[in-house]
Amino acid sequence: MSCTCFIIPKDVLERLSKDPELSKELRQASKDTARVSSAMRNLRDQASLLTSATRTVGIMELQLAPFPAVKVYDCKHHQTLPGTSVPNSGTSPDLTASRTFKETTAVANFYKQVFGRNSIDGVGMTMLSSIHYGTNYNNAMWNGAQMIYGDGDNQIFIDFTAGNDVIGHELTHGVTQHTLQLAYSGDAGGLNESLSDCFGTMFRQWEANQDVNHADWLIGHDILGPVAKTKGFTCLRNMANPADPHALAPQPTKYAQITPGMDPHYSSGPPNLAFYLSCKSVGGKSWEKVGQIWYRALTGFPPSPNMKMKEFADRTRKLATQMYPAAPAVATAVGQAWKQIGL
Amino acid sequence: MQNHDQLTIERLGGFGGFGGPHLKSKGELSLSGLSAEDLRAVDRLFPGDRQVSAPKTDGFRYRITRWSGSELQTIEVSEEEVPPFIQSAVKDSLE
Repeated sequence: MSCTCFIIPKDVLERLSKDPELSKELRQASKDTARVSSAMRNLRDQASLLTSATRTVGIMELQLAPFPAVKVYDCKHHQTLPGTSVPNSGTSPDLTASRTFKETTAVANFYKQVFGRNSIDGVGMTMLSSIHYGTNYNNAMWNGAQMIYGDGDNQIFIDFTAGNDVIGHELTHGVTQHTLQLAYSGDAGGLNESLSDCFGTMFRQWEANQDVNHADWLIGHDILGPVAKTKGFTCLRNMANPADPHALAPQPTKYAQITPGMDPHYSSGPPNLAFYLSCKSVGGKSWEKVGQIWYRALTGFPPSPNMKMKEFADRTRKLATQMYPAAPAVATAVGQAWKQIGL
Repeated sequence: MQNHDQLTIERLGGFGGFGGPHLKSKGELSLSGLSAEDLRAVDRLFPGDRQVSAPKTDGFRYRITRWSGSELQTIEVSEEEVPPFIQSAVKDSLE
């Protein structure tokens, strides 16, 4: 998942910085940009490179901690990361800070208790979150090393930490970075997003102890602001009905509807639906059987950055048979679900 | 039709998938209203050899368009590469 493409190639910047036909100011600007771009690239890629390197040399076998530390930082509406440390964040009077601490810890518990995984990297890395990022910032993201949450504009969105599925989603991007290392475009990008939605919604259901019939399968339901609600929207994405007209980001439902260059938040619709259909058909709690298959497909194999959705579908079909030999209905459910979306 | 003094900006992606049918984030700047320093920052965004920078997980991307001579130039870059005065020119909306 390392980034190798930047807007201005280094060689072009270096050429510009020496071009006698350019003004002194432009030559200096090109030189400065080359230096800053290089530093930014190094910073951004560091986490991904480290991930690959440690896997190669087997450092990942060493446990950093038996359970991850959870740290919360406050950006105070700036965009400098990580911000300032929030002391005793679990009991902070800042509700965003205490909620982020509580839900991040809960995600760590979810991965530990349900899947036997110790933190994002599997060996206990600290889970670091920055809150109050930017001003009226309508986003949450994983930047390769930590989670980042905006407060929303209180119109379309409210505080992004208000959705426990959002927190589960972002942390799962970290898990994917440390396992399959999926790219963020094409089939792999859609899978990357789908896995975050699947584990994000599983976490939400696990916290509420819901079975598949009582869950709403909505992503982003709890972060919609008053303007979005007034207009009749109920969520960002609906895993049970990706084309839901009440979703802010309605998605395709068939693999064949995915178009080249489609944003991963839209191409994740078909695999989201396959997960939902599998869970509904198997019944019970989503994390008990189908979730276990998806987790094994994500974490039990070498990195596959450019994985196709069909490869992932075939892997889950095979795992369903291997993991539940006494319950063939599970493999049938998974197979039928993928078939329904065209894979 | 975009006029020659205009820089048009669209913010895309993010957790919500801005740029889809409902979630929009757009803005524009008048180039003649920018300082010399800001104009240089705009120029640095539009190199001769244009490339699309790789998106980050749930990160925003910016699609920026301007006139260059007789043709429209469009780039798409990740948020960290966009100067703050361009980032703050967009406004999120629902359609």
